[in-house]
Amino acid sequence: MHVKQIEFERTGGFAGMRIAADLKFEDLPDEQADTIAELLDDLDFAELPEELMDDSDMPDQFTYTIKVITEEWEHTVTTGDASASEKMQQLLQVLNRLARRQKRQ
Amino acid sequence: MHKHLPVNCFIPPHILKNIATKGTEGQKNLAISTLKISARMGGQRQALADFAAAAFRVDGAGKNRVIYDAKNGSSLPGTVVRKEGEPASADVAVNEAYDGSGITYDLFHDMYQRNSIDGNGMRLDSTVHYRQGYDNAFWDGEQMVYGDGDEDQPVEERLFNRFTAALDVIAHELTHGVTQFEAKLTYSLQPGALNESMSDVFGSLVKQYKLQQTAAEADWIIGQGLLTANVNGVGIRSMKAPGTAYDDPILGKDPQPAHMKDYVNTIGDNGGVHINSGIPNHAFYVTAVELGGHAWEKAGQIWYVTLKDKLGANSKFQECANMTYRVAGELFGAGSIEQQAVQKGWLEVGLNVDGSGPVPDTGGGGCLEALLRLIGAAPAKK
Repeated sequence: MHVKQIEFERTGGFAGMRIAADLKFEDLPDEQADTIAELLDDLDFAELPEELMDDSDMPDQFTYTIKVITEEWEHTVTTGDASASEKMQQLLQVLNRLARRQKRQ
Repeated sequence: MHKHLPVNCFIPPHILKNIATKGTEGQKNLAISTLKISARMGGQRQALADFAAAAFRVDGAGKNRVIYDAKNGSSLPGTVVRKEGEPASADVAVNEAYDGSGITYDLFHDMYQRNSIDGNGMRLDSTVHYRQGYDNAFWDGEQMVYGDGDEDQPVEERLFNRFTAALDVIAHELTHGVTQFEAKLTYSLQPGALNESMSDVFGSLVKQYKLQQTAAEADWIIGQGLLTANVNGVGIRSMKAPGTAYDDPILGKDPQPAHMKDYVNTIGDNGGVHINSGIPNHAFYVTAVELGGHAWEKAGQIWYVTLKDKLGANSKFQECANMTYRVAGELFGAGSIEQQAVQKGWLEVGLNVDGSGPVPDTGGGGCLEALLRLIGAAPAKK
């Protein structure tokens, strides 16, 4: 799997603030790129259902949308907090940090 | 080979319900976590909430708080760290959750004669230290959950403090529970924005009640103290002047409208529930300031009765305007200053309370609603 790009968006939450980032994989430090690639692999991301949310009616939870573009495939997944597995939570945390970092630059 | 807890596999739901309502504490928790999984799979969140309420209720009991610590993990509820009547903890977040849920209980009980979230003594469960770098708080259908902000970032880059730091955040989350047991407003589009607004209204009222402020003295800011000094902002939302709470290079600008003409059509945030709530928020603010004195006494009473008795799952802004007007008439008399204040509140945000005037296209119907319904983010039409 050769990841080219990840589009990440987080909406909702108590504050209702939107965070989004368009991450070019070749621009990421190797360590972060490796972490993300490993998490995507562990999650078998391409095979996940597009809609993971079973908690869209839970007040104030975040809604996350992740689009992964590789040389072989593209896949978009939407998830919430409660429906995210441990691995998915790790991925969301990494992407959220990168999105904030990108906004600072 | 997969391992299953036998209770997950073989015990029929009606027996689990019995355990959940009559068993020991440990049995209750196990039965409820099992019911939780099956109710989520079946999309029966309200049924789940009713079980939880039944299990954790002692009829006729008063305030009963339990605070848990998730220890930065995501497993809920976590470890019990403080129960009702126990002395203060060394952990400030624990005490804030305890005290905040306590005074929220007090406002609903003392002013509106409501005994807890379900009106029948439901235990108030709160979990602090949820996950790492979790800049949020939420109501999960059974309990309140609080993150520590972005404590995982370098100090100079942190934007949020812990979410228990603001009393109105705690009252906001608890009020989501009240709404779940009363109007059951669907968490999408206008019903969702009304759900959010009710939480902001009673969130702000609890803070004013604690500080014993009049409507004129209150700041009407939601989440004051939540943003760090690194952010250019006074809080998360302003009921007095929606759209002005923050304007920051990293967080952007507060997107809330204060008038129907500026209603925001969006798919994100469940159709803008935290954005368009600015409109009913401002209507409440105008009503409360028009009446003067303590906002929880008259304006709060009108909004509470409307939430409890008049609104339903699919209620929109116009219905809320009409119903608050009707309730003001029932409580204080037709043509009373209270009813006139409600009328003025809604008029300032572009809504005529009798519904006879022009109502702007709000995006609550038509293409956007159809699209959201298609992707499962809006309620099915009855």
